[in-house]
Amino acid sequence: MKGYEVISSLQDHIGENDLIVSSNGNISREVYHYLAKPQVYLRGSMGLPIGVGLGLAVMNPEKRVTVITGDGNLLMGFGSVITAAYYKPHNLKILILDNSQYFTTGGQQTVSSAINFSKFLESLNIDYFQSLKASQSILDDNLENFLTTQGLNILHLIIEEGKRELANIPWHPIKIAENFLQRFD
Amino acid sequence: MINLDEFVSFIEDNFDLVSGVPCSYFKEFLSYIPSQEDKSPIKHLSATREDEAIAIAIGAALSKKRALVYMQNSGLGNIGDALTSLVQLYKLPILILVSYRGLKEDNDFPEHSIMGKINNSFLGSLNLLYWDLNEKDWEVSMQKAITVMDEQSSPVVLMVKKGVLSQ
Ligand SMILES: Cc1ncc(C[n+]2csc(CCOP(=O)(O)OP(=O)(O)O)c2C)c(N)n1
Repeated sequence: MKGYEVISSLQDHIGENDLIVSSNGNISREVYHYLAKPQVYLRGSMGLPIGVGLGLAVMNPEKRVTVITGDGNLLMGFGSVITAAYYKPHNLKILILDNSQYFTTGGQQTVSSAINFSKFLESLNIDYFQSLKASQSILDDNLENFLTTQGLNILHLIIEEGKRELANIPWHPIKIAENFLQRFD
Repeated sequence: MINLDEFVSFIEDNFDLVSGVPCSYFKEFLSYIPSQEDKSPIKHLSATREDEAIAIAIGAALSKKRALVYMQNSGLGNIGDALTSLVQLYKLPILILVSYRGLKEDNDFPEHSIMGKINNSFLGSLNLLYWDLNEKDWEVSMQKAITVMDEQSSPVVLMVKKGVLSQ
């Protein structure tokens, strides 16, 4: 299963109370195209999506914050997983889409396969974690739990490389921020 | 040194979140900042890197909350991309307190000497607005920083020399 298929499966689970932060490159583009707008589409700041989600989550305890990050982004800001696990905001959900590639820049291999995610996530003592190979039945069985279990939840999904040709995000980042900020008027 | 009771209560009145990586120049200041567990009006999150602290602050700014970041100027070297491709690109306001290491009193700390020399040109090349936080007029500096960040929706840096927020 491909990353955009996982992202489009989130459609049915995401409502007005959901804030999403997506990591740069392909993933932000897919989140923009498939999920309710506006969300925080990061265009740069590689490595920082979990930090942004953490700040949003602790400031907005009544909302659900879901970070959708590639493995390259995860690895670049790996300390943020530890920070999130330390503070354990009850409303933060981290979805790792792991194609073991920097797909956006041409599919160069990352080092993510050196991690045993089940063991690593277990060591964090968080409220929910799974490390699975993405498929429709895996999503059917796990997405709801991942999103609704109270606590800091991390779902690591192995995905296949690949994308749909999607237009670039038409909003300038200033507009992304403006539109998102309006959700707090 | 600034009266830390007054300084921290000013921060509690004007900010919602604090995050950063420590410097010994902030030692006493940070001992006054409550930890996350306390029932404080502000949240304080200790970060693993300065760019992470910036990201956490931006999460707050994206929901109309005011955030303060603290770091050593060595941390400026870690936040170039966070500033240019996040804070400035999305035009969001945060206040950054930066300790000014590498001046005369840091003669015995060669690790700070090079950044100490280029500190201002570094901030200048990032087009950052910055001025000093001083013991005498700290409240004016802080108030001005808040006005500028709110009105221009931009980051502001306050440089903190030795003895200002810790002995
Ligand atoms: C600091 C920095 N270094 C490099 C890049 C170039 N870059 C853009 S996207 C990307 C890959 C991101 O990988 P991942 O998070 O795994 O997502 P994927 O592309 O696989 O969907 C890279 C290296 C960048 N934007 N910023």
